Amino acid sequence: MKLKFPFFAILALASAAVASAKSIELLNVSYDPTRELYADFNKAFAEHWAKENHGEVVTVKQSHGGSGKQARGVIDGLPADVVTLALAADIDALYVNAKLIPQDWQKRLPENSTPYTSTIVFVVRKGNPKGIKDWDDLIKPGVSVITPNPKTSGGARWNYLAAWAYAKHKQGSDDAGKTFVSALYKNVPVLDSGARGSTTTFVQREIGDVAISWENEAFLVLKEFGADKYEIVVPSISILAEPPVAIVDKVVKKKGTEAVAKAYLEYLYSDEGQDIAGRNYYRPRNQTIAAKYANVFPKLELVTIDAEFGGWTKAQKTHFADGGVFDQIYSNK
Amino acid sequence: MRNSFFHKLVPATFALALISTVTPRLHAADADELKLLRDQIRALEQKLLVLERKQEIKDEEAAAAAKTAPKISITDKGFTLSSADSANSIKLRGLVQLDHRAFFNDNGAAAGLNNNGFVLRRARVITEGVFAKNYSFQFVTEFGGSAVSILDANLGVTVTKALQFKLGKFKSPIGLELLQSDSWTFFNERSIATNLVPNRDLGIQASGDLLDGRVNYTVGVFNGLPDGASSNNADFDNEKDIVGRVVTTPFKNDASSSLQGLTVGLAGSFGREKTASGRTSGYRTDGQQTFFSYAATTVSDGQSWRLAPQFDYRNGSLGVIGEYVLSTVNVRPSANGPKAELKNKGWQLSAGYVLTGEDSSYGGVVPKSNFDFANGTWGAFEVVARYANLKIDDAAFPLYASAASNANEASSFGLGLNWYLSKAVLFKLDYYQTSFDSPAGAPLISTSPVLRQDEKAFISRFQIAF
Repeated sequence: MKLKFPFFAILALASAAVASAKSIELLNVSYDPTRELYADFNKAFAEHWAKENHGEVVTVKQSHGGSGKQARGVIDGLPADVVTLALAADIDALYVNAKLIPQDWQKRLPENSTPYTSTIVFVVRKGNPKGIKDWDDLIKPGVSVITPNPKTSGGARWNYLAAWAYAKHKQGSDDAGKTFVSALYKNVPVLDSGARGSTTTFVQREIGDVAISWENEAFLVLKEFGADKYEIVVPSISILAEPPVAIVDKVVKKKGTEAVAKAYLEYLYSDEGQDIAGRNYYRPRNQTIAAKYANVFPKLELVTIDAEFGGWTKAQKTHFADGGVFDQIYSNK
Repeated sequence: MRNSFFHKLVPATFALALISTVTPRLHAADADELKLLRDQIRALEQKLLVLERKQEIKDEEAAAAAKTAPKISITDKGFTLSSADSANSIKLRGLVQLDHRAFFNDNGAAAGLNNNGFVLRRARVITEGVFAKNYSFQFVTEFGGSAVSILDANLGVTVTKALQFKLGKFKSPIGLELLQSDSWTFFNERSIATNLVPNRDLGIQASGDLLDGRVNYTVGVFNGLPDGASSNNADFDNEKDIVGRVVTTPFKNDASSSLQGLTVGLAGSFGREKTASGRTSGYRTDGQQTFFSYAATTVSDGQSWRLAPQFDYRNGSLGVIGEYVLSTVNVRPSANGPKAELKNKGWQLSAGYVLTGEDSSYGGVVPKSNFDFANGTWGAFEVVARYANLKIDDAAFPLYASAASNANEASSFGLGLNWYLSKAVLFKLDYYQTSFDSPAGAPLISTSPVLRQDEKAFISRFQIAF
């Protein structure tokens, strides 16, 4: 029997047919406190996508953890279609270490690919028993401060830099910043790997007098655990946190999900996306939507990473790289 | 009386005055002390909470690290390295079989038979791997026998449980006993019926489980091989064979049925063979001596097909297998001689019973306890029995095969004892007896010393398989 069929082609076609029958699935690798935000947003986006694409089903899976840790996961092979991390340096690492994205990834979406902002505030126990009013109170003897590990958590890096900026503004030098954060970390009894872990430490394990927290996470603590148990204290100065988002080019090209991943991130800038951000206590970029939530977010002086620290690349290298300032001060604890 | 009263009143008054002066001081001291103690307790409580939380974080980190750490497994099934999610793995396995063959009832060296002695029957290094969960490979090198060879080299692609592809060199899916692992057949050597099915061939097959695993199918395209032959990694003609096999275990999911372990199946092949080279592979006895082979000039030319109904039954310690094989081939005595269609038939029925109570299994017996002389445990023992017959088409003689040096029928029975010292270590002792019939026109005394008497042989084996 002579058989001249191209068997390998048939095999490949069969495999492709099986693959194409699957529904679209995206993986959003994000940082710790965005669970609730993206649970809401994913649902809204799936409905939007189905409406615009003849009922096509998109399922978005979420992965959360310390921002730095999540970035390392993606570099090590976690197949993220999109990353929505706490800071640009963690997304930069995807280019620097694995070339998973282009160098200019931040230029591809409006507002430097940061669809919402946030800042850093304090959460204290009801009645504020230690009288915490501003950053200076956090370095007083006997005050126990909860903040995650800046080596693994994006939120912790914002906390650290906000504290540094406060001291630098007050005393006019980076030396003052270093002295201040050194004193601050002497009051930190536990270093969690992510912001959600720190919330657990402060709220559920009842450790510490004050937690330095993402603004959205602080509001969530009040909502979930009771405004009768906790209070938010807004410091005199804080930092403008701009959590960025990006498509992971190499992954979406391989999976064939580029169009839907792009649409997913672009939808964060839509009116509905911005409203969902506001509802979840992230500050919307869209000024019209932001106005709707103006009474929710306190007004305070916010410094920027670019103006204060020369951008994330420099801040990362100086403060959080191995052997950087944080390693120096924390190993001396 | 007044004095007496006064004398009593003064100290009492003094005492009251003293108490009223000191008590507030004592109360204040107690309160301070209590506050201090409360603060200390609170501080200790916080320290304890911090220590607990630190341990909790350490545990969480250890659990997370364990999830991403590669796994190493060393068991009696081999050495396995696998990724944390088990999607990628590589496994190293091995098989060594040292046999001793003792033939009696023949004239041995005087008759030109040099068949007694030790044989390194199989010595294999088996490497298997899985990548991205759905892609696998197998690579088996054989160092036993007379030459080093690549026995299996194939790739697997799993689309679903119901559709899996295999490409490369592997066993052609026809013979029931042939498809069983070399390590776990009832006897040291497969029955003479297995002579009629092809061994390892090059090709592509699709297979899968259907109906909740009660039906398994395999269909493939192979280069095609003569009976009992293995591919030398090249096709010997331009023709291909279609090979298929369907087996069903109808009561697989009915635990109460005594037929739960019954599998029945039908396998077959269909193709054409046309080659200038002779059909050199012969048929061998249980003692691995050749009792039939075509003449060196005989060539295949035309349709060849096989049909092989088969069954496997397991019920507790009892195992029974049976198969029938009909192999048809068109041959010519030389490139231009007359063509004949020859039908050779074989069948076998084998049974095993595990004396020590373990389950009989297609994948070998797992002893309840390993052999350990010091602790008085002896592993598992199994007795086995077999009867088999192979009949050569009478039309094969004398044009296509010599009547003087071949048998046209062989019937054999075997008895054996298998001692499973552990899952990986096995000792077997088999007795085989094979009788031969001669074709018409055969001389009174065969020119083959093997056929001058019944073959009687003890074959013992020491095996390590993991």
